This record gives sequence, C-alpha cells and structure tokens, in this order.
Amino acid sequence: MGDRRPLATCFGISLALSALLPATALGQTDTPDFMPGLLALEGEQSEIPEVLTTTRLRQSKLRVPGTTTIITGDMIRDLGIMNLVEAFRLVPGMVVGHWGSTNPVATYRGTSQYEQRRLQVQIDGRTAYRISLADVDWLGMPVALENIERIEVSRGPNSAAYGINAFLGSINIITRSPQDTAGVEAYTSVGSRGHLRTFTSVGDTDADKSWRLSYEKRKSNGFDSQIDGGQEIPFHDGHDINNFNFDSVFRIDRQHSVDVRAGVLDGVNEEDLEKSGKLGATTNPDIIMDDYYLHVRFDGATSPDHFYHIQASYQNQRQRQRWTVSAPAAEINALLPTGFPPFPEDQGPFIADLNEDLEETRQEIEFQDTIIFSDQFKLVSGVGYRKDSFNSETFFNGKGDNYQSRVFANAEYSPFRWLTFNAGGNWERTTTTDEDYFSPRAAANFILNNNHALRFVFSRAVRTPDAFEQNPDWSYTPTNVQPPFEALDGQRIKVEDILDPTTSTYGQELEEEWITSREISYFGQFHLESALLSVEVRYFNDDFHDMISGVINEEEWYIANNVDLEQEGVELETSLEFSGTKLRATYAYLEQEGRYTGDPAALPVDKQERAVDLMGRLSARDSGSFAWIQDLPMGFMTSAAMYWTNEVRNTRFERADFRLARRVDRTNYSYMLALTIQHYLNPKPWISPDNRIEDQNQFFVEAGIRF
Amino acid sequence: MERSTGKADQKRSICGIRSLFPKTLCILLLTVFSVFSGAQESQGQESQGRVVYFAGSGNAPLDQHLIQLLRGELAPATSLIEITDDQLATLDSGPIISVGPAAFSRVRQANRSAPILAMLVDKSFISGFAERSPGQITGVLYNVPLIRQALTGKAILPQANKIALLATADSVELYEPLIDELPAYGMSARIFLVESNDNLISTLVRALGYGDFLLAAPDSAIYNPRTIKHILLTAYRRNQIVIGPTQAYVKAGSLASSYAPFPEMVEMAGSFLSTFFETGAYPEPSYPEEFRVEVNAQVARSLNIPLPSREDIATRVDRQLAINGEASDE
Repeated sequence: MGDRRPLATCFGISLALSALLPATALGQTDTPDFMPGLLALEGEQSEIPEVLTTTRLRQSKLRVPGTTTIITGDMIRDLGIMNLVEAFRLVPGMVVGHWGSTNPVATYRGTSQYEQRRLQVQIDGRTAYRISLADVDWLGMPVALENIERIEVSRGPNSAAYGINAFLGSINIITRSPQDTAGVEAYTSVGSRGHLRTFTSVGDTDADKSWRLSYEKRKSNGFDSQIDGGQEIPFHDGHDINNFNFDSVFRIDRQHSVDVRAGVLDGVNEEDLEKSGKLGATTNPDIIMDDYYLHVRFDGATSPDHFYHIQASYQNQRQRQRWTVSAPAAEINALLPTGFPPFPEDQGPFIADLNEDLEETRQEIEFQDTIIFSDQFKLVSGVGYRKDSFNSETFFNGKGDNYQSRVFANAEYSPFRWLTFNAGGNWERTTTTDEDYFSPRAAANFILNNNHALRFVFSRAVRTPDAFEQNPDWSYTPTNVQPPFEALDGQRIKVEDILDPTTSTYGQELEEEWITSREISYFGQFHLESALLSVEVRYFNDDFHDMISGVINEEEWYIANNVDLEQEGVELETSLEFSGTKLRATYAYLEQEGRYTGDPAALPVDKQERAVDLMGRLSARDSGSFAWIQDLPMGFMTSAAMYWTNEVRNTRFERADFRLARRVDRTNYSYMLALTIQHYLNPKPWISPDNRIEDQNQFFVEAGIRF
Repeated sequence: MERSTGKADQKRSICGIRSLFPKTLCILLLTVFSVFSGAQESQGQESQGRVVYFAGSGNAPLDQHLIQLLRGELAPATSLIEITDDQLATLDSGPIISVGPAAFSRVRQANRSAPILAMLVDKSFISGFAERSPGQITGVLYNVPLIRQALTGKAILPQANKIALLATADSVELYEPLIDELPAYGMSARIFLVESNDNLISTLVRALGYGDFLLAAPDSAIYNPRTIKHILLTAYRRNQIVIGPTQAYVKAGSLASSYAPFPEMVEMAGSFLSTFFETGAYPEPSYPEEFRVEVNAQVARSLNIPLPSREDIATRVDRQLAINGEASDE
C-alpha cells in the first residue's frame, strides 16, 4: 500500500488534468499551472505572502529569527480602529500617544523623546521613515486603512535586514495587492471630535494586469481642549488630509512582473499657536503637507528556486509651516549684533512672518536576490543605495544630501527538521558620519512537532544621527517685517546665537548609537479539538551604548552620545480562535535603567538626569491589550477591545472599545454598517495634560459597500 | 512489473543460447501454451460468463494502473479484457468498465444496451444516466462529498464555522445539499454567485470577507487552470485557506482535499461487479467507504497553520460523520 500511494497520487493528477482540461476547453498551454511548483511557496511578495519579512526571506514563524507581530487589515477593521497609528496598541511593548498639537507617535520600548527615531517604517518595502529629521509622520502616511492587507512588526533590532533605522524594530505595512481588490469599494466613518474618514477605490484585474485607484480623506478636530494657566482653552490641533494612491501590477510572463505604485497626499496638520507656536507666534503655525511618491518594482525569477527583485522609489515630502510673530522691540534690540543701530521701542512690537518650511526627497534603489538551494538552505542577499536630500532655509540654510550604500544577506540553514539557524547582517556606509557599520544577527530556532519553536537570537544594530542632529544650520529669516523693523527683512536670526552657551553642544559631531540585543522566545500553536491557540512569549535583554539624548529647542541644544541604557522585559502575545470567536491578548513588561555617560562637566546634574529621563520618556512598565471578536447570526458581529499602558509621564492610558457591525451579502454587492464606542476608562489626559477629551464616550458610525 | 520483465528476459536468454532445435521447441511450446490457454479462457467464458471489458481513458499509465488493480481485485476466474473503440459496437454482453467521463460517453454512444460501470466520474455526471437506466448504469464516484470536504476544512481549522462558496448560476445546485447538511455540524455556508469571469475576483474578495475558509467544489467554470492561481493567492493573501476541489489542486497549492484512494474505488468496483454477476443489475452509483486526505504542508507552514497528520484529519472527519450519521450529499 505504501508503495502504491505516490503512484496513485500521480495518476490522480494526470486524471484530473485529462478530465478538467477538455471540460473547460482550455489549451494545453495551461497545464504547467498544475505542476506542483505553481506557487513559488518560498517566493517573494508576489507569491504567498502570509509569512514574515523579518529577514527578507519568506519564513514561517517557526523559522524566523525573532518575534514578529502580525496585525491583519481585517483585525484593524473588525476592532473599529479609526486611524493607523492606533493599530500599534495591539503590538506588545508599543506605546502610542500624541505630542504637541496632536501629532501621533508610536514607539517600541520607549527611548523616544517625541519623534519616533528608532523604528524603521516601510510601506510595501518603501521607506516611509523621514530620514533628515528622524521622524515618522503618521498623519501623513500615504496608506489608507482599507488598503492594508497586514502590518508586520518585527520586535527587536532588525538592522541586519533593513539597515540603520531598524534599531529597535521594523514596521512593514503591506497593502492589498491590486490583484485582490477588483471592483468598487466605498466607505465612510463619522464620529466624535470631528472624525471623518471616507475611502473610495476602483480597480480591475485580469491575467496580465491589475490596478487600483483609491482616494482617502482623513479629518479630525483633534482633542477637545487644552489647558493654559489652569484654564481650558480651545485647541487648534486637527487635520484634514487627502490621500490618492495608485497601485498596479503588470505581468510580463509567468516569471516576470512589474509593480508600479504612485501617490499624492496633501492636507493640513493644524498646529496650535499656544501649544506649538514659537518665538512669540500670534497665528497658528499650521503645517501644509504636499507629498508624492513613485515606486517601481521589477520581480523576476530564473526558476522556482531563484528569484530577485529590483525596486526604485522617489519620494518627495514638502511641508510649509509659516506663522506670524510679535516680539517687544526691546527683545529684538537685545539680539542685535554690536554696531547695529537699535530700533525705536515706542513704535510697537516687532511683527514678521517666520517659517519652518522643509522639503525632503528620497531616492532609493535596491536589488535583492533569493536562492533556495534546498529546503534546508536558503539565502537572500542584496545591495541598496539611498540618497536623502533636504532643503530648508530654516533648518539647514539651504540644501544638503546624505548618501547611504549597503549590502545585506541572510542565510537560513536547517540541518534537521527540529533546528534552524539564521545568520545575517547588513553592512552600511553613510555620509552622515562618513563611516561604515555592520549590524549582525544570529539565531537558532529549535522546532518541536512542527508547531512549537524555541528561539535564541543575538543581534546588534546601529543608528546614526540624523542630518539635523549632525549638521544643523538653524536660523529664522523674518519676512513681511512691519515698520519700523524693515531692516531685518530677510536677515537670518541664528538659533546658535540665542542658545544657552553654557550647555550648548550645537554643531558638535555626534557618533552612532549601538544596541546589543539578546532574545529568548517561544512560539507555539496548539491544535485543540475545536480551537486553535497560539502563544508567543519573548524575553529580551538589551544594552544600549552611546545613545544620543538631550534637548533641542530654540533656547537649549545639548544633545550628545551621553546615555547608556540597559533594559529587559517580557512580552506575551496570544490568541485563541474557536467557532465564531476570536480572542487575542498581549502584555508587555519593561524594566529600563539608564545612566549618564557623557562628560560630567558638560552638563549640570539636573540636565544629566533629564538626558537619562528622556530616554525613558515613552517607556511604559506595563502595557497590554485584549480583543474579542464575535460573530453572531444574521451577519452581525461584535467586538470589544481593551487597551492599557501604565504608565508614561505619570499618566495611564485605559480605553475600552465596543463595536457592533452588520454585514449583508447580496448577489451583486455586500454592505456593512457599524457603530463603535470608545470608552476612556481613565478620564485623565494621556501623556500630556493638553490631550483633553471631554466626553469619556466617543462614538463612531461606519458604512461601507463593495461591488 | 519489474519481476515480470525479469522473467521475460530470462526466457529470452534461455532461448538465445540454444541451437535451432531448442529454439523451434521453444516456439512450439509457446504456441501450444497459448492455444491451450486461449481455449481455457474460451471455456471459462462460456461456462461462467465472467468477462469484464475495460474501456480506458486513453491515459496509458492510468489505464494500466487500474487494470492491474482490477485484476488483483476480481475473482481469478473473471477476465478483464481491454477493448478499443472499434470493438465497442460489436460487444453483445458483459459488463464494461469505463474510465472517466469521456470513455463512458464513448461506450454509451456505441452501445446503449451495455451494462456500464463508470469509474472516475463525478456524481453530477453519472447520476442522470443511472436514474434513467437503473441497474444498467452505475458508477464508483470519484468526487468527494462536499460535507466531507467541509469537515476536512474544519478538522484543519477547528475554529472555522463559516464557509464561503463560489458558484455560477449553473453550478449553484452543487452546493445546495451541503448548505442543508452543515447546520447539523454547527457550520454554515454562503454561496457567492459569480456572474462572469470578469467579476470572479471581486466576488471572491467579498466571499473571503464572509467565510473562515473557501470550499472549492469540482466546478470547472470557476476552478480551472486559468483561474486557480489567482484564487489561491488572493485567498492566501487574506490569510484564508482553500479546501478542495481535488487532489490535483492540492499539488497546485490548495491547502487540503479529501480524495477517494484508488484501491478503495477498485474494491467497490469489484463489489459492484459481483452484484451484477449475481443479480444481473448494478447497485446505484456510490462513493467509496474510505477517503484519505491530501495536504500541502508547505502552504500550511507558509500560512502558519498547524497541520494535524493526514490520518488524524481523516479520522476527525470520519468521527464527525459517524456522530451525525453519514448524511452525505448522496
């Protein structure tokens, strides 16, 4: 019997082919599609993508060298998550908040001041991280929630695969293939605090080409109010953004295809003059966004076991931020250089316009090659080159460029079914520091019963200072200057001149930051009689060296490689699925200890302590989430989610979301209606006292239709 | 096969080393043996009427494999004779085994009175003929009852209870018995109607939004070599598995499918023939008693789906069916 089975299988295939093909009147040319190699299962994104991008090899969770959280687009939508950044509350160890005039920030294991400096963010493999100012603009992220297929968050240093900025982890937002979105879709949600989101998409697919054009509008009034001098005052902190995306895939032949993606985003990010106004602002310094990108990728294969891609992208992000300032003439006179005649102080204040306009351009090209030598040995390698350009009169006194070149590789070797080794690294050279760096990673995964893996991972990663930290030339140039101060029109007022000279490190050269990370993690799946249980537990121990900490503003500039940190913690992610029910829970515990390692004479003790504290500013000791999605009869679905973070800057985040949705499938279309309630269990503002929400219950109504 | 080839070689070598006399003797002996055996066969036919004709599919390896299995299954006194299309019209009696729908149609057209046992045919194909000519036409059904496929999906994804089905207006009735049966197993299904090839993927996207997995029936208007890759990849990108429709599709990338093993089908064919020889009529077309499960472990790994063993899946399916009574869509 044992000998006959493969033969029978083989004949079964032959029969299926002979029976199927005449019936469908298809030519013989189609028969190769039925060969076992139809799907390049280890292939890159064009094939089965439900595996992980951690090493750039397509790997299952059992073999991947690290812990990865996958948030599916369906989960985001089923839980009633209303904007992208909030989805990261589902990731163990991530803290999501808002700074300034409601600018979202998402960090993994803290170490962030405000800007998100140490996480690489990609959309379909294209860098979305803003290099020159080391930040991620979540409001201006050119991706609609409806287009998200899934988000992969590699928790732990991932510089070995994605380079310098993947210092604490990497986020890869993977959008739906236009091959899967043929048809028309429309969606809208409206809700509390002026929330409005609309999405429309149209697309088509056939054997040779697929395309999708989508438009999304995101609008919000931001928080309800802010506190100023103990008084509640209005908060001008909303946003109104329009996002167009075009995605297409052209199939050249069975082994070659081209993806073309393009997008345009414009809008306004409101900034409140009380909160974000600088230098005596009298108008709101709103940020006008005007971004676009073009992304082309060529996928090819020489065989099912050897495939490659070349991708090139061009992105331009332009922000225009202008406001009017008013300052007493005496203050202006105090800033004047010696010999400059003072202005009269009895003819009114100095009034002029200032700006923080900035244009960032990124050109990136990458070649990646994957060879599957056997099921035991797989190798991915590649090279990349990136040019980051910036243009800002205010921050850089003009234009500048940085260049990065890199070579990366990862090998997966499984000498036995129960053991997989991964070894990889990324060599990179950057003109930011004019040095080169190597970020390695090595891991051993012990696999039991094909369903359980115990991983041991060691990695090192590097982050280089951004262009502004390293080479600032910061000044403000007044325009539209009112009399009698016309002489200052077009004159550069250098920030360097007004900084506290006792602590200033302005213009001093910075070195790279290093992290050495050790991880022991377990991933297991339990196939129960009527349920599927997944458990992933991660213990980590990280050493950070030469972390760049300190303060940058118009009065103080003391950043330096002056903090070392040690942190360890445990993270848990588990899910249980049984008939009609999905349960998911996450928990993260973090202990962090930092010490000042800079020159003791450079800063007073309080500022040394502040530099250390800033590293833990968004580090939460405990955080977690719980989600429950329940199918009900007649197309109804309910979900409940609880998120908590304890605590950041003496505040705690505790919110419970409830959603009731009904989906109706008709012959030619399906539609959905939903009501979501977000209940803030803790009425105290989160992270900043200005992040005030007056009603603890926030309501959102959604409607969507798909043809 | 290897052993019999070896004997033939040995026989040739023995003949080859002798002189003319032994060669002549060899030929003579062989001639006598063949005449004798032919006569014996003829006598057997006349005395017991145990001849079964075999109309193959035209796929030589498949036909030979089936012939070999059938010869092992049939009583020693029963002869299995392969026939060509030309010989079909001249046959006046004896059951004919046809392989595949095309062979069945050829036999049926050539000889409408012949008792045919159709192998490797779907229920939808043969049931009409069998109803019109009860006892004369039967079949060992090759397709798998859809409830069994549905339970195969549930054995792999125990949490699944909603099944998405794609159908055309012509194939929608394929799924109706399944939809009636599923509630007994705590499951439900919804059919998404594909009106034309142009809206296959948009309908699939809606279907994937409904179901825990996609169940594919042998419906060639939807699942065919031209469409299957797109369907599979779309489903997998949505983290949804596809079950069925046949073993071949599992090789192509579908996660799993139950299938009727050849020895089981042959055993059932033998049983049908015995009934025919005893009563002069075939039983109704029927599914084999035992099914096996084909899985694509690599797809499961890629999707992070823990896969029970094939035997375990088959046992779970059998247990479910036994608990609820074998209420298949027969």
